[in-house]
Formats: sequence, C-alpha cells, structure tokens
Amino acid sequence: MHRTLPFQHLVLHALVVVIVMIAEAIGILKIPIGFGAVILLPILYAFAMGIAINPAIFKATGKLLKAPGTKLAGTMITIAIMPFIAKFGTTVGPKIAEVAAAGPALILQELGNLGTIFIAFPLAVFVFGMGREAIGASYSIDREPNLAVIADKYGLNSPEGAGAMGVYATGTLIGTFVFALLPPLIHSLGLFDVRALAMSCGVGSGSMLAACTGGLVGVVPDQKEAILALAAASNILTYATGLYAAVFLALPLTEWLYKTSRPGTASGDLVKGAAK
Amino acid sequence: MSDGHNAPTRLAADGPDIDLKEEGTSDISRDALLLLIACIIGLISNWVGHGITPLDALAGMAILYATSVGGLALARYVGLGLPSVAWVSLIAILLTIPGVPGSAYVVGAVGKLDFLSLATPALAYGGLALTSKEFAIARSSGWKIVLVAICVMLGTYLGSAVIAQLVLSITG
Repeated sequence: MHRTLPFQHLVLHALVVVIVMIAEAIGILKIPIGFGAVILLPILYAFAMGIAINPAIFKATGKLLKAPGTKLAGTMITIAIMPFIAKFGTTVGPKIAEVAAAGPALILQELGNLGTIFIAFPLAVFVFGMGREAIGASYSIDREPNLAVIADKYGLNSPEGAGAMGVYATGTLIGTFVFALLPPLIHSLGLFDVRALAMSCGVGSGSMLAACTGGLVGVVPDQKEAILALAAASNILTYATGLYAAVFLALPLTEWLYKTSRPGTASGDLVKGAAK
Repeated sequence: MSDGHNAPTRLAADGPDIDLKEEGTSDISRDALLLLIACIIGLISNWVGHGITPLDALAGMAILYATSVGGLALARYVGLGLPSVAWVSLIAILLTIPGVPGSAYVVGAVGKLDFLSLATPALAYGGLALTSKEFAIARSSGWKIVLVAICVMLGTYLGSAVIAQLVLSITG
C-alpha cells in the first residue's frame, strides 16, 4: 500500500526528530519560586517549537512543510501518543496492590471532573455575562469526545458550539502548560496527598496527562512509581466513563444551572444557527 | 489536538473544519507503519534525554509497539465502546501484573524507556499540526474564553483532587 513515503511526510518526521532532540537535550528544568517550583518539561519545549515553525504562524516554513505534511502531523499525534500510553499502562501492574487499595478514591474522583461546572460556569455566566456559549465552554474540559457531544446535540455553529470550540482551541494551545505548572504549585500548598494529585491527572487528554504527571514527578521524584500508576489508572477510568459522565451528568446539570440562573432564556433549539 | 481519542462523531460537516481523528475508520496496516516511525523517534528521544542507546531500549520499545498495535486491533475488531488507547492501557497492565508469565521481563525491558521522553514526539507533532483555523478560533474567542478555559482546567483538576483527598483520608 505504501510504495514510497511522500517527500512531505519525510520533511515532517525529520522536523519532529530535530525538535525532539533539542527538547530532550535541554531536559527538565526546575525553577524555584517563593513557595514552590515551576517545572519546565521537554514536552513543553517540543510543543512550543512545533508552534514556532508551524506554517500557519510563519509563512517562511510554509515552503518547507506544506498541507500534506501538517495533515499527517494531525494523524501522528494520535499514533505517537500510543507508545507513551502503553508505557504508562506498564506502571500499573507492578503497583496493582496499591492501585486497588486506592480504588474507592480512584472511582469517586472521576465525579470531580464535574468541578469545572462549579468554577468555570459561574465565571462565564455571572462575571462575564455570557449567553449559552457558557454551557459549551464550561460543562467539561472540552477535549474531542466532549466536543463530539456538543456537536451532536447543538451543532458546532450554535452558541454552545462556539463556547466549546473556544475552550477546545485554548486548551489545545495552553493546556499542556497549565497542567505542567499547576499540579506542582497545588502540591506546594501542602493540603493534598500526592496520591490524590496524581489520580486527578487523568482528565482524558494524553498531553495533559503527560504534563501533569511530569510536573508532579519533578517535585516528588521518590514517589514516581506510585504517581505514574495512579495517574494511569485514573486516565483509563476517564477513557471508559468520561463520555457517559458528559452526556448524562455534566451536560444536563449545566443546562439546568443555566435555566435556573437565566429564567426565560430561549432554548438551544430556538437560537440554533443564530451564531455567525 | 486529538491526542489519543477516537471521537465518534464527524464534526467537519456542520462546523469549523477541525479535523477530529477517527481511528476506527483508518486501516491498521497504515497505522502500524506510522507507529513504527513514532517508536523510532521515541528511541531517539529517550537516547538524547536519558543516554540509553536505542539498542539497549529496543526490547522495551518492541513490547510497547506490539501493545499499541494490539490495542488498535482490539478497538477495531472488539470495540465495546472503548477507544484504542484504553485497550492499549489494558494490555499493558495485564502484561505487567506480578505472576503473569514474563511480567518481570516486560517491566525490566520497558524500564529502559522514560515515560516523559515518549510523549515528546507527540507534542512536537501537535505543535506542527495546529491549523490556521484553530489559531483563528483561539484568537477570535477572546480573553474571556481564555480565562474560562483556565478555570475549566483548574476546576476539572481540583474537583478530582478534593474528592480523592477526602476519600483517601477516610479509607487511608
């Protein structure tokens, strides 16, 4: 089926090799700040370098990397994350007793993903005065499966769809950075067991998972095995339950909150297609 | 970016042209070839970052490669509503549970590979894969959406951390 690899594909892989080598050569940097530490990871440099030479940003690299190359890059994300996910899974087996012991916490913390509704929704509706965009924006972390739910129910051209797309695009651009920086800082507050912070890393995105666990291991290196095992277990639970939690819990709850806080507002069907 | 998911719905038809990957519809032999490229780059990443030569880490990477292909195949032919990354994880766990034949060898072999170095290639592809439409959406959404997005991430993480902390403090 693949007689030869198209030249554009070779260009893409070659660029990635160069980026990866630079990022890994720099390595993990730990910058102490007052009460905690900022952990900078090779995945952050790699992502930033990818953006820096992305043809959509810099026309100059468009001569080197054309549409077939960037299209393959999209496919390669889902492929290249797999050895990482596999490696992550192998950390669970040796720690299976510890993971099982944390079972109740692991299962119940999945409900904590609804926490976005209690922080982001009030900000969107009461502080920023957003309309139904707030529903799509704040009901979940808006990665691909959640986006599919919104697309299915409202369409992506609806206000709900616009809100979800905005958070999706923002999360894509800065999610890795947020999840690398945040957990080490929260850990330094001293309020949380590192096991609790580890099992919260499974939010349903491979890059956020990598950033979150990488950051935590950076500040608590002697707990590396337990952090990886718990994060991996929670991530699998999110893969299995996240879509159902979004459809049957998060979205109905957000809809209800919106109707309660904005009585008399048109339903999604009436305003569907009103957005430009 | 669509790291690790096979979103079940085709979104391009009624919205901005964000290309959500559908692993379920792609053919496995093509994915197996792309995986091979990803694994080779992963070996280079691990080499530069941790000084472990590709030859030394080869057995571990071969196991991760086989696990990934197995996960793709199970998602395609068994499915059960689980994405391929979930199948990959389940195989990897089974291979390393103490008492399973060969588990000690598997743990030793994949121990030559650093987990974070294996994520670096995916993020490099991720940066290069962003389309001008995705940049445009992020720009046109404005600073309010950026703040909401940060609170979404913070809320999703903290909500889980608070519940986990409460349950752990009860169960020990």
